[in-house]
Amino acid sequence: MQMAWKEVKKSKMKFLILGSIIFLVSFLTFIISGLANGLSEDNAALIKNVPNGQFYLNEDAKQTYNLSKIDVDQQDKLLADYKGATALSIQMGFVNDADDKQHSVAFVTSTDSELFPNVKDNEVVLDASLKDDGIKVGDVLTNNQFSGAFKVAGFAEKQTYSHAPVAFISMKNYQEIYRVMEMQTVFIPGSDSPDSVKGLESFNNKEFLNTIPSYGAEQMSLNMIIWFLVVISGMLFAIFFYMMNVQKIGLYGILKAIGVKTSSLFSMMWYQMLLITVVSLVLSVGLSQLFSLVAPAGMPFSLPIETTLLLSVVFLVIGFIGATISGFQIKKVEPLQAIQQGEM
Amino acid sequence: MAIFTIDDVEKTFKSGDVSEKILKGVDLELNEGEITALVGPSGSGKSTILTIAAGLQKASGGQVLFEGHDMTQMSQEEIRKIRSSEFGFVFQSSHLVPFLTVEDQLLLMLDVAETKLNKKQQKQEVAQVLELVGMAHRKEAYPSSLSGGEKQRVAIARAIIHKPKMLFADEPTASLDSKRSKEVMEIIRNLTKTLKITTLMVTHDEEMLPYADRIVTMKDGLID
Repeated sequence: MQMAWKEVKKSKMKFLILGSIIFLVSFLTFIISGLANGLSEDNAALIKNVPNGQFYLNEDAKQTYNLSKIDVDQQDKLLADYKGATALSIQMGFVNDADDKQHSVAFVTSTDSELFPNVKDNEVVLDASLKDDGIKVGDVLTNNQFSGAFKVAGFAEKQTYSHAPVAFISMKNYQEIYRVMEMQTVFIPGSDSPDSVKGLESFNNKEFLNTIPSYGAEQMSLNMIIWFLVVISGMLFAIFFYMMNVQKIGLYGILKAIGVKTSSLFSMMWYQMLLITVVSLVLSVGLSQLFSLVAPAGMPFSLPIETTLLLSVVFLVIGFIGATISGFQIKKVEPLQAIQQGEM
Repeated sequence: MAIFTIDDVEKTFKSGDVSEKILKGVDLELNEGEITALVGPSGSGKSTILTIAAGLQKASGGQVLFEGHDMTQMSQEEIRKIRSSEFGFVFQSSHLVPFLTVEDQLLLMLDVAETKLNKKQQKQEVAQVLELVGMAHRKEAYPSSLSGGEKQRVAIARAIIHKPKMLFADEPTASLDSKRSKEVMEIIRNLTKTLKITTLMVTHDEEMLPYADRIVTMKDGLID
């Protein structure tokens, strides 16, 4: 360990360069992860906020929630049979404020439930982000499909869907706007092993998110970038330690000649890898958390500390694997060859 | 009394279908505390016999007995343990660790040899040995700031700090001028005599021979 630390101290620049690269790659990974999470929240906070359970869609809906219609009798039976069950519908739309300015929203309505605000007829509860557009409690909003007007009854925190703020309205108003009597889905909380219901298909929360158009594609692209960066950082470790090991073949040979164990040489490399990675990760975790505090309000950015810690562990594992693969050279070094090569 | 015996050692190098016998049955006994100089023309096999004796390469045949134990029958780990605790090495180039100070080079060797000294005792031992090789004033220096002669003194100090029973020196003065060579040889002789270290040294330099107790000449893979 001491030898590893002394090399780091003596060759500061070399290790600083690797540390900077790991810092930049991990920082970029955290930022993209924050954006992926932020976009995911922006796209589906409404669904992510509900507890684990099962969403039931009509089998004929081809796993697309907005094509689903639950038969009213079947819905009533499900709501009666399962405690906490709720039927809900989501449709994209818009509202106009007093200045006739249009605001894109996702109209959501549900049967009586603790999961969603219970809204009276001709009232609306909006996602709090609409406050930034100047909308206040008591304002009156309109919709060209709706004969009446919505009075803003309140705001709900972090209720977005498909990158639009949610507008909770009563079922009666929803049925008038969309001219439909049936709900799109029934949600039953807490059923890990879903009961099969004739004519309906069940989805857990994660599966249901993938029925949202664009959600899967968006998350897949961002996650692909994240994992590419993680793999690239592993390759960087492998390449850097490979280069460093090539430079030190002679040294390793001499150390082996005087009796240093191969395992001690591996430990030296692992210690250096761990030191560089931990320092780089602490900096990038700190900076990315700082960024999440100062990110512009309009930027969908969410970086829970658990996510950064999980990615940090992945970076450490990848770095360990990369360094170890490059370290196989150490095993192959022949002391005699190193001695015959002359001065290091 | 022989502490080290090389008995009918052969070494054949193969390259594809071609094989060349470098050592053709070498017999040599090294007595405790004696300095033996191996001389001979290039290609006579003197460096090969030294590296086989030091456990740095395997013999194709014969026995290498250290304190009665046949090293040719030992595992790599057993040989490594002997190299770290019982052997010392001085090479043509000093081969110091570039990122360790003079003092650290010697402390490393004490760690590798797994001596039972505590940290304080290790530092005292290092100070004493550096005094013996005249390098105490450069203990904080890195190899890059040392002259060739100074590097070789440190290499000698590293080779004997753990009080090995054997010292293997392969052309230890080849990279030094005449004055520095004599200084280095005097240090090797004084230390090995003081510590009763048995030394096998390969040299081309006839001026170094007076420092040896015994001179063995090799020719065509055999002791002449």
